[in-house]
Amino acid sequence: MHYQSHKIALNFYTAALLLFLVQVVVGIIAALQFMWPDFFILNFNTIRTLHINALVVWLLMGMMGATYYVIPEESETELWSIPLAHVQFWATVLTVSAVIIGYIVMGLNPQANIEILGTRLLNEGREYIEAPRWADILIVVSILLFLLNNFMTVLKTKKFTAVQGVLLGGLTFLALMYLPGMFYTKSMVLDQFWWWWVVHLWVEGSWELIAAALLAFMLHKLLKADVRVLAKWMYIEVGLVLFTGILGLGHHYYWIGTPRYWLWVGGVFSSLEPVPLLLMVWDAFRTTRETRGVVENKVGLHLTVAHAIFNFVGAGLWGVVHTLPQVNKWTHGTQITTAHGHLAFYGAYVLLIVAMIYVTLPSIRGVRQFRQSGGYQAFWWMTISMIFIVIPITGAGMVQTYLERLLGLDYVTVKASYNLWFWIFRALFGVGFLVGVLIMVKDFFTLGKKPVS
Amino acid sequence: MSTNAAKNLFIFGSLLCFAVLIILTIDTIGKLDERAPEITEEVNAGKKVWHKYDCIGCHTILGNGSYFAPDMTKTTDRKPKEYLKKFILDPRSIKPDSAMPKLGLSEDEAGKLIAFLEWISKVDTNDWPPQPILALSIAGRTAIAGQVLFQKYDCVACHQIRGIGGAAGPDLTYIGLKRPDIQWHIKHLRNPESVIPDSAMPRFDDLLEDELRDEQIEKELKELAEFLITLK
Ligand code: HEC
Ligand code: HEC
Ligand code: HEM
Ligand code: HEM
Ligand SMILES: [Fe+2]
Repeated sequence: MHYQSHKIALNFYTAALLLFLVQVVVGIIAALQFMWPDFFILNFNTIRTLHINALVVWLLMGMMGATYYVIPEESETELWSIPLAHVQFWATVLTVSAVIIGYIVMGLNPQANIEILGTRLLNEGREYIEAPRWADILIVVSILLFLLNNFMTVLKTKKFTAVQGVLLGGLTFLALMYLPGMFYTKSMVLDQFWWWWVVHLWVEGSWELIAAALLAFMLHKLLKADVRVLAKWMYIEVGLVLFTGILGLGHHYYWIGTPRYWLWVGGVFSSLEPVPLLLMVWDAFRTTRETRGVVENKVGLHLTVAHAIFNFVGAGLWGVVHTLPQVNKWTHGTQITTAHGHLAFYGAYVLLIVAMIYVTLPSIRGVRQFRQSGGYQAFWWMTISMIFIVIPITGAGMVQTYLERLLGLDYVTVKASYNLWFWIFRALFGVGFLVGVLIMVKDFFTLGKKPVS
Repeated sequence: MSTNAAKNLFIFGSLLCFAVLIILTIDTIGKLDERAPEITEEVNAGKKVWHKYDCIGCHTILGNGSYFAPDMTKTTDRKPKEYLKKFILDPRSIKPDSAMPKLGLSEDEAGKLIAFLEWISKVDTNDWPPQPILALSIAGRTAIAGQVLFQKYDCVACHQIRGIGGAAGPDLTYIGLKRPDIQWHIKHLRNPESVIPDSAMPRFDDLLEDELRDEQIEKELKELAEFLITLK
């Protein structure tokens, strides 16, 4: 079936990929600033803000695009309101552009970041949720319109599938978990307490639900696997994600001024967080193995399985190594965290959206066969580069932990001399990563438009 | 397990976990006041300055934030407030190769910020950051009197000797070659501005924790200076 609604998905994918490019270009600038702080007109803090905000926003837009694809296909109907979806798309693009311009203005002249109605005009000065309050409100409105449209679509044909349930449940949870970041507190301890609700309950809660739902969707679409078996394992996965992840929040409450019992709560629950991620890997392999017959979209399946694996490696393994308080006491806030942040986001969410694009784009363009080599090339350029970004940064983290935290050397000395080579490697492989993104963007715009030779 | 059982377990299990989180949250919020000093208007104003200039875009605080610059949780414990204030106002006037740019804070804002940093340094963080367990003393075996004082007054917070110590002030590994004169050192330590215009180094008086008698100060300054000229 071909749906008009799928054009909306395409719009979201396009915007997402353009922001992905921005993210990686500024990432390279940030990497160079570790060696030359004055390398660019904007200071490191502004560049980093752009890097991580572009990341979060493009992943969200990718998820929205994916949802606008999945819901009509599962409900076998057009969206409740296609015009509303268009409005929501352009409203999101406008808001995001305004926020980005605001960051740049603030970076050039911090004095422009004035206080109005008790909040900052351009940049809230809180990591990841730098977007000012007025933008927060617009973003919430946009997400509500998006949810409304999709819920109404499901209600139209009353075909409630498990994938729809978990996907929309995850998205609703996501919208709700944006709210704890939307009020000011005088205490920096409380500030960070609520801040982690947003950050942690997103990436280790609601987003992971969305990932599990999309994983089941992709395995079904690619392999025509039995939906009931997929649904059962999906519920077990998301059940374990929330069982370990909600109280796993405690791994961020060890040292921020909160009571000592969090060392127990966080340590016990978060060290179990890799279990559901491992289950997803097994799920992907089991489904692939049990399905006979030819898979047409091989690159789509390749990316789906790669997502499951790197979700486990980046989030699960690179997360669990520093999650016990006995270890975290020494590694907290070092480059170990950066290494984990990169591999986890790449494996869990970048590859998720990239896989969804490759799984659904052929249907959107109305082709069954397409040239798959672009997808593979992009994947290998990005993945190998990411691995060679994460290895040096893990090394830098180990050196930092040893010299600064255990031996007591000065932070600046360790960064400027002992870790210099690691920064050089990161910048070099950052360029390799950019090559992968460029290949993918080109492939995205041309896929299915030329006949396969 | 049937699909339905898995679904119910997911829904009710998650709700239960969330309920526990809410209870722990209420308990935690109730305990925060006893774990930190009172938040005065000045401290709150300082926190707002922290947000305004996006300090978190380079620094961590309580270990969270960006990993481009040192953590700000216990800064005021190791460095005098006057020095920090001067640094924040114009980092490169103190350390020409500093990676921190001049952000354009006003005197007033810097003062409030210091009050905020002082507040955060008194929060009970369950002993984080930990003391380095393998910390080397620069001396090792044969400590002369001045060397002990160098440790005691935490000159290493700002100065390095052979790679160990802070980077806020100049490296002192070869200071004995650069400045071989004991009298210069005594003068400099007593009042750095008397020999280096606009010096950001704290006066010796400001580094003292208890009052000392004049003769005692005289003696310690001499011992420190004697130690410094041996560094070459
Ligand atoms: C563009 C990045 C950047 C921004 C923004 C930034 N800093 Fe820094 N800061 C640094 C770096 C890097 C250092 C490390 C010292 C050096 O290289 O001289 C530093 C050092 C410091 C120090 C000295 C620490 C010590 O132990 O000697 C203080 C205090 C400080 N910053 C406070 C602040 C405050 C307060 C803000 C916000 C108003 C801020 N910084 C914003 C990069 C930044
Ligand atoms: C808060 C940081 C700080 C502390 C603590 C500090 N200094 Fe300094 N020191 C500086 C700065 C900044 C300079 C550069 C300006 C100057 O020369 O006065 C400096 C300069 C010096 C110099 C001259 C270096 C040269 O190359 O000319 C000597 C010697 C020195 N300090 C010794 C000491 C001793 C001994 C102590 C401990 C009693 C100490 N400092 C504590 C910041 C500090
Ligand atoms: C699912 C995807 C995940 C993503 C995208 C992710 C991402 C991140 C990021 C970006 C940070 C740094 C936050 C900051 O900037 O301050 C972080 C911190 C952390 N993560 Fe994850 N994470 C994921 C899963 C996990 C899992 C499963 C674990 C543990 C088993 C884990 C353990 C940790 C710990 C302990 C920290 C704190 C590091 C510190 O003390 O500095 N993460 N995570
Ligand atoms: C898809 C790929 C990427 C993802 C998902 C990603 C994600 C992130 C995240 C979550 C952070 C903030 C959290 C943290 O510091 O731990 C971050 C910071 C950063 N990223 Fe990336 N990034 C990607 C690609 C790149 C590339 C290609 C480069 C350049 C070589 C780069 C350079 C940096 C730098 C320098 C920082 C600041 C780190 C710090 O504060 O220490 N990133 N990135
Ligand atoms: Fe977490």
